[in-house]
Amino acid sequence: MQKKMAYSFPDEVLEQVFSFIQSDKDRNAVSLVCKSWDEIERWCRRKVFIGNCYAVSPRMVIRRFPEVRSIKLKGKPHFADFNLVPDGWGGYVLPWIAEMAGAYPWLEEIRLKRMVVTDESLELIAKSFKNFKVLVLFSCEGFSTDGLAAIAASCKNLRELDLRESEVDDLSGHWLAHFPETCTSLVSLNISCLRSDEVSFSALERLVGRCPNLRSLRLNRAVTLDKIANILRRAPQLVDFGTGYYAAELQPDVFSNLAGAFSSCKELKSLSGFWDVVPAYLPALYSICPRLTSLNLSYATIQSPDLIKLVSHCPRLQRLLVLDYVEDSGLEELASSCKDLQELRVFPSDPFGAEPNVSLTEQGLVAVSLGCPKLRSVLYFCRRMSNAALVTIAQNRPNLTRFRLCIIEPKTPDYLTLEPLDVGFGAIVEHCKDLRRLSLSGLLTDHVFEYIGTYGKKLEMLSVAFAGDSDLGLHHVLSGCESLRKLEIRDCPFGDKALLANAAKLETMRSLWMSSCAVSFGACKLLGQKMPKLNVEVIDETEPPDSRPESCPVDKLYIYRSVAGPRFDMPPFVWTMGEAVRILH
Amino acid sequence: MELQLGLALPPPPLIPIETFDLNSYGNYETREALGTNALSWPLLKLGPADNDINNIHHHNSSSSSSSSGGGAGCKKRSFDEAPFFDEKRNVPKTLHLLLWTNQPNDEDDDPSNVLHENSSSAIFKNDGEGLVGWPPVKTWRKKVHHQIPNGGAENNRLPAVENGIGGRASKSTYVKVKMEGVPIARKIDLSVHHSFEGLTNTLMRMFGISDGNRKSFKLTYQDREGDRLLAEDVPWRTFIRSLKCLKLIRSRG
Repeated sequence: MQKKMAYSFPDEVLEQVFSFIQSDKDRNAVSLVCKSWDEIERWCRRKVFIGNCYAVSPRMVIRRFPEVRSIKLKGKPHFADFNLVPDGWGGYVLPWIAEMAGAYPWLEEIRLKRMVVTDESLELIAKSFKNFKVLVLFSCEGFSTDGLAAIAASCKNLRELDLRESEVDDLSGHWLAHFPETCTSLVSLNISCLRSDEVSFSALERLVGRCPNLRSLRLNRAVTLDKIANILRRAPQLVDFGTGYYAAELQPDVFSNLAGAFSSCKELKSLSGFWDVVPAYLPALYSICPRLTSLNLSYATIQSPDLIKLVSHCPRLQRLLVLDYVEDSGLEELASSCKDLQELRVFPSDPFGAEPNVSLTEQGLVAVSLGCPKLRSVLYFCRRMSNAALVTIAQNRPNLTRFRLCIIEPKTPDYLTLEPLDVGFGAIVEHCKDLRRLSLSGLLTDHVFEYIGTYGKKLEMLSVAFAGDSDLGLHHVLSGCESLRKLEIRDCPFGDKALLANAAKLETMRSLWMSSCAVSFGACKLLGQKMPKLNVEVIDETEPPDSRPESCPVDKLYIYRSVAGPRFDMPPFVWTMGEAVRILH
Repeated sequence: MELQLGLALPPPPLIPIETFDLNSYGNYETREALGTNALSWPLLKLGPADNDINNIHHHNSSSSSSSSGGGAGCKKRSFDEAPFFDEKRNVPKTLHLLLWTNQPNDEDDDPSNVLHENSSSAIFKNDGEGLVGWPPVKTWRKKVHHQIPNGGAENNRLPAVENGIGGRASKSTYVKVKMEGVPIARKIDLSVHHSFEGLTNTLMRMFGISDGNRKSFKLTYQDREGDRLLAEDVPWRTFIRSLKCLKLIRSRG
């Protein structure tokens, strides 16, 4: 049978056919058809996505896919964003770069998320890959502008340099000057995370001016408002622009210059930045507002009336990120003006204040759910919620795929009935059949997990905090959510039973994070011993877990499946459980 | 039932708990069969006690893993004896869950619960002020909200690293701490410390320095201008305002 296939479809033809197949899932399916397809496919796979850098080793990837041009790696668990993962936990990219330097000389793209990147890694990238084009460092850390200078200097065909939300040791703005005068290939440059006050502005201007294909440019706070016009005039082809500071004393000539510069950008569809906004300068944007599809005002401390005015000029808006200064009134306006809205994120302006500082409640979200038929993705911080509101939202918007609600005070009940919010979230999972991501908050019992286990069949990622009564809650999720890939839990009374009873489920998921729960050290050890394909990591910064009785709960637990076995780059406060490994430390 | 905003009455629960039937879902079959030894893993009851859903296995309190008494011993028995990784048997459609002894007292006697109480106080690290990582706002965003919300840019300067003024873990700031000889830097939340004493205590714990060895370390810091200074030479407020990062060095002599 295989022979027949080989005669009727020479490898080159198959390879050609496979080149049209881009999605990882499809490629994986192709490789399962038969050995020869697996062989052909692996030689022509150009893109690899590794959701957990410790799930597999660089050598294994290289062995299987020898001709990769593009790699995407993720390191730390999501809760690292909120300081729950101690510094030094891991996620180092250097071993990957070192291996790929030898094996993939034609590597073009590296995309990293939540990884520790050092200047050494960046220098190695600059040296090793002659055709390097794309570097995206999303929420990374550990490097400085010296490393960036190396990239700028050496990568002759660099197209994308995107440092979004990374922590960079900003030693000096002069790294930009390392882009040679011959570099004209930039398509995307995002330096919004750089915090220093100095940026070599003239170098930036010249760079922007000589890159005719520049489509996306996100500046940092060092770039003042008066300089924006200069930049925009050199890059009227921009599609995505992130301003720096958007504040200055109102001066008519500066204003008109700015307005003119914006209006010359006929392709501009997406705006962000806006640190320190002076509302009087917002009308400078009006000429482009009708074309805007994405607006990130989540750093803009402007009040609802100004937000409403701006948003009402943007009928094509699909994506809005905003602070809760928008208030319910602003969201009602949004609901009536922006019928194309697909994604809404409302962030708290005063997350640690005890009292509400703005009039933003569940009403705003209900209004948007009623008024925006295409709404799919929600991230919403507020201080009160009701089951009734959640049920309404669920019934209005069954097309939701991402729903993340954060009621700021933990364990807040339905403010009308004082009951838990089980029923409300239950309605969300029941009605929104394509829900892939859910974050819970408020007062919740085990019942909400029953609903989630029953209805959340497409749920891939679940975030839980201060919820549930017993192991039953966790059991419902692990046993019911068939598509679950990532589960992260903090401060819930979930212990050993549900975890051990569903141990095999963990092998079908990318990872499980549990912190400040009730999982005992003994259970962790057992899990580590019995499940060789899982890495069970116990994290404790105060003292080693074996200095206490086995029944004591561990502080933090991170379990992930891996074919690479336990890792060896752990800091002193992380222990891997396992039989072969003893307690690896 | 048409639901309108503002009505106090919530709709009835989606799944009436009393008639909750385990058999109707939970088809997920674990590849490695879980031990279904009835003695070790009797049944979970949902709702009123007389709705014993799985009649096959019965409540057997003597093998409860959460019986009272010494912690370590009890736990060991239930974990080591339960053959929950029994590869030969398949998991039947009805899920065999774990025993819940209905008496809440048992839960209280459960040593792991007692410890959970202690550990939940551990949630409130930072001297009882505020929760770590809650609300789940990225560090990025925390730093932005130092500004005064009155619609204008009152100050164009970058948000300064300042000690918290009231509120729960408000304006919490993390600074890097390095210890001489240790390659990995750590981070410490300054806003929850109010004195050199408290700060030093935390640092000693963080780096595992015993009380005896404490004297051999000195706390230094680097200020905004890049100068290296001894922490204790300046008043606390000055220290907090001007420091960029900390370093523990071994004192000589």
